[in-house]
Amino acid sequence: MPPIAWFALRRVGHGVVTLWFAITITFLLLRLLPGDPATAIASTNMDATMRQELLTKYGLTESLPVQYVKYLGQLVQGDLGMSFSQSEPVSTVLMSRLPWTMLLTGSALVMTVVIGIPLGVAAATHAQGALDRAVQVIGVVGQSLFVPSVGIFFLYVLGLKLQWFPIGGAYDENVFGAAWYLDVARHLVLPCLSLVLVSLGSYVLTLRSTLIDSLGEDFCVLAHAKGTPERVVVWKHGLRNALLPTTTLLGLQLGFMVGGAVLTETIFAYPGVGREIYESVIRLDFPVLQGAFVLLALTVVVANMLTDLAYGLLDPRVRNA
Amino acid sequence: MSSIVLTELETEPVAAQESAGGATWYAFRTNPMGVAALALMLALLLVGLAAPLLAAYPSGFTSDVLQPPSTEHWFGTDNLGRDIFAEVVWGTRISMTVGVCASLLAISIGVLIGMLGAYFRRVDTFLGMVVDLSLSLPVLPLMILVAALAGPSLGTIIMVISFFSWPEVARIVRSQALSVVNLPYMDAARVLGGRHPWILRRHLLPAVAPVITVTVVLTASRAVIAEAGLSFLGMGDPNSWSWGRVLYESQQSGSMTSAWWTTFFPSVAILLLVVAATLIAIAYNDARNPRNRRD
Repeated sequence: MPPIAWFALRRVGHGVVTLWFAITITFLLLRLLPGDPATAIASTNMDATMRQELLTKYGLTESLPVQYVKYLGQLVQGDLGMSFSQSEPVSTVLMSRLPWTMLLTGSALVMTVVIGIPLGVAAATHAQGALDRAVQVIGVVGQSLFVPSVGIFFLYVLGLKLQWFPIGGAYDENVFGAAWYLDVARHLVLPCLSLVLVSLGSYVLTLRSTLIDSLGEDFCVLAHAKGTPERVVVWKHGLRNALLPTTTLLGLQLGFMVGGAVLTETIFAYPGVGREIYESVIRLDFPVLQGAFVLLALTVVVANMLTDLAYGLLDPRVRNA
Repeated sequence: MSSIVLTELETEPVAAQESAGGATWYAFRTNPMGVAALALMLALLLVGLAAPLLAAYPSGFTSDVLQPPSTEHWFGTDNLGRDIFAEVVWGTRISMTVGVCASLLAISIGVLIGMLGAYFRRVDTFLGMVVDLSLSLPVLPLMILVAALAGPSLGTIIMVISFFSWPEVARIVRSQALSVVNLPYMDAARVLGGRHPWILRRHLLPAVAPVITVTVVLTASRAVIAEAGLSFLGMGDPNSWSWGRVLYESQQSGSMTSAWWTTFFPSVAILLLVVAATLIAIAYNDARNPRNRRD
């Protein structure tokens, strides 16, 4: 088998294991925690027969291993159960929401990289200068921001006071055609900006330190010595090598960013999975909460897998490791 | 670990060069950024401890609804006319409690798992895998699920946060412990006939203790953020004030769109705490790294 195929296979296997782990954790947590789903569904004062009926309906009377196998089987078929409050399959509820969350986190991720790379490069090439100091301060403060605080700030200043952007929803009802895409983009600005601001700090700081290390290595010193222009040394020799650890970090941050999306969507009433989570918390709709986590975990795992595969194709060190 | 911290604090500047801990403390004290951050953190702790002396517990409602900041209400009032200064002060108490308790729990689990992984190589693959897997998952939705099921209370919040924060600690402790387990003094301890628990406690733990000091601050600040996030989504303890709950009430009542002070002050409180924690960690790392020291 060629090494690339072997690498891809291993990586996909790793993704599957991660997902299995996520699913098993939720299953165990839900079954082993003191609160039982039946008491959660209806009020505590329902009578015993009703309770038994509910438990049977949701398959909670069988032994744990049987429940587990059934649960896995359902998940493989894409069945996440029925929503308590909306009498619709959880998958239907969530799949209409998922594209919005993917749009939000995806564009935030792209923006982080697009803004982060020039900032990180500028800081690394002017290490210890005023610009570097400024970037470091921004990085530390950015890392320390609380997503809802940033979201509320943008909503208040850019949305309400300056009226530059809409403050809620993902699009207006009566806009069609090409204008619709523009409208979606306008609604995306504030939630996306909030997420970018929060994730930018650690991205820039990591890129800065890895780039400084990489510029100090022999191959960069040599490139310098043989008269390669500074710009080429930094952007071609240094940055390409510094991007690997930074991209790995970005993958790790994706889980954090999805959490941030839950909070931002809540503030901006953005119709993604996060807003659904918020609404399900109020209604104590556990199947939706559980399904939302599984779905978000799946998204993160797949995104991480694709990044790694792409990187494996570009960088022989990764696929041969 | 406690004995190490004590020696750090008790060492006089003259004797500073004698022990590594003393030198670190000396370097930390001469870094204005670190001292300022530490002072800020202590001030916040003090506010939390002295909450009953600073403000009356915010409860009930008054007719002074949504008043902007004034000499009477420094931070203004919320939609039920409660004083936001009082809410933020009492919130400091709860947020700090959650931060400290959750981080202590998370660190105990993380240190144990991290050390066991580095020391007993046979369980390392498994423990390492669990840590890696938990780190790559979106934790907040999982915390929400568990907190919703267990019912919102301070205890639940602390348990949930620590349960999902230890992998980060375990990862850091493990990598530090790995660099130590093969050193000659560890072999010597084994040759002497030392039992595993004794070696782990007396030889491995002191070696990883400095890393733990940094993680305490960082894990606590992350726990505060996590608590604020959960409270903001309505998963907080409805009977106690935390910074996240002030934001939650402002969002729920819609006053966040009309009264900036209902969200501004709790946000600043969160920012101050996390920035202080981050700066303490940076200053401590700088102080511990002899290459950065001028002494």
